[in-house]
Amino acid sequence: MAVGCLLTLKLFIITIVLSMPLGLVLTFLYTSKNKALNKVVAFYILIMRGTPLLLQIFFVYFGLPYTPIIGKYLTISDRFTAGAVAFILNYAAYFAEIFRGGLLSVDKGQYEAAKVLGLTDMQTRFKIVLPQMFRISLPAVSNEAIILIKDTALITAIGLSDLLKVTKTIVNKTTNISAFLVAAIFYLIMSYVLTIVFRLLEKKFAF
Amino acid sequence: MEMIKVENLKKSFGNIEVLKDISLNVDKGDVIAILGPSGSGKSTFLRSLIDLVEIDGGSIYIEGEALCENAVYPHAKEKRRILAKTGMVFQHFNLFPHKNVRDNLLLAPMLKKQGTRDELNKKAMDILEKVGLVEKINEMPKNLSGGQKQRVAIARALMCDPDILLFDEPTSALDPELTGEVLNVIRDLSKEKMTMLIVTHEIGFAREAANKVLFMDGGYVLGFGTPEEIIDSNENTRIKNFFAKMTY
Ligand SMILES: Nc1ncnc2c1ncn2[C@@H]1O[C@H](COP(=O)(O)OP(=O)(O)OP(=O)(O)O)[C@@H](O)[C@H]1O
Ligand SMILES: [Mg+2]
Repeated sequence: MAVGCLLTLKLFIITIVLSMPLGLVLTFLYTSKNKALNKVVAFYILIMRGTPLLLQIFFVYFGLPYTPIIGKYLTISDRFTAGAVAFILNYAAYFAEIFRGGLLSVDKGQYEAAKVLGLTDMQTRFKIVLPQMFRISLPAVSNEAIILIKDTALITAIGLSDLLKVTKTIVNKTTNISAFLVAAIFYLIMSYVLTIVFRLLEKKFAF
Repeated sequence: MEMIKVENLKKSFGNIEVLKDISLNVDKGDVIAILGPSGSGKSTFLRSLIDLVEIDGGSIYIEGEALCENAVYPHAKEKRRILAKTGMVFQHFNLFPHKNVRDNLLLAPMLKKQGTRDELNKKAMDILEKVGLVEKINEMPKNLSGGQKQRVAIARALMCDPDILLFDEPTSALDPELTGEVLNVIRDLSKEKMTMLIVTHEIGFAREAANKVLFMDGGYVLGFGTPEEIIDSNENTRIKNFFAKMTY
């Protein structure tokens, strides 16, 4: 069971750590002056949010190798890696939307104040806009992170033994449901810890 | 040499011509109150002087250097250099909400490497002293009253040692009992010969603190002269009507 927990935890951490920065980059491209880039990112987000994550996991693991011509370069034979890639690509799209919302709610007076103080666009972005964007986005990010904890169970679909899969096996073997209870408590504790962490962050960056 | 020189400035938003043909010379130490009806282009004009609005025609010179010549602007870095001695204070303060008072003041001069943290801290204390807010140095903006926020905003602008300060309705968002503390700070600055352009509806303040009044209407300058000439004894009917309607 510990092995299952570990896999769930590992998938969660890898996804969070990599999808947030990727989401941020997508947000920048989405809101950049380049209209073509905006469209590409909008399309990417549409696909990622508009199709089931399960389908995306299948696609990355089973589908990519069949891509004409370049298929053999896109083959990810490690199940975990393939699953993680799908999770990261999917969650990046959600985070991009969240960050974009945060960016839009930063008052335009902030850009003007920064400009008349002689800040460059880069300085304005990193010292003025991003901190406020993150603060505004925190509740939504927290929500997304808690959804992710539970979504990790989808990775069983490509034959990996995460917490839920292991639990089911144990229940089948022992004909006793206490393993389910243990799994539920594990998910709950993770969600709870996340909630606390985000509350603290919200407090620390309150303004 | 003029602190600001504007020649035949024109600005349209879409096909609405908001500023039609504005020329103006601002001398050192001038305190100019900009008055006029709503929608006459006062804010647009003020904002064009600090590059928040890009103009479509004419020229703007700041202390002899071209911010814009015949509607052609230099690149961003050059504009920043020309505007380095120009500051602006907004109606809604626009303090950085995620920074305390100290960091609001220090942020820009630190990024522009205008001194060590210690030097700038000292300077921030001196300036806060002037606006009467030393004890608020560690407060977050949300814990300040409107009048205090606006005084912090002025202090923040002063940190960059401006020669020219622009104010767009600095007291319009304040409760009436808080306007005085902000106007007092501006009054003190005028005694120090700071060059200032102030869009305001405070006619009393304009009469007493400004040495010149610029009256705008429909995208034109209808009058430019001493407060006495513009407010009290003007022959232009539009100007006369404007002040007749105001109760002050
Ligand atoms: N960014 C913009 N886009 C389109 N129209 C604008 C923009 N900014 C100002 N205008 C228009 O330009 C005209 C002049 O606006 P401006 O804000 O300069 O007037 P004002 O004299 O400052 O008025 P007030 O006393 O109400 O502040 C108005 O008709 C306004 O609707
Ligand atoms: Mg205005």
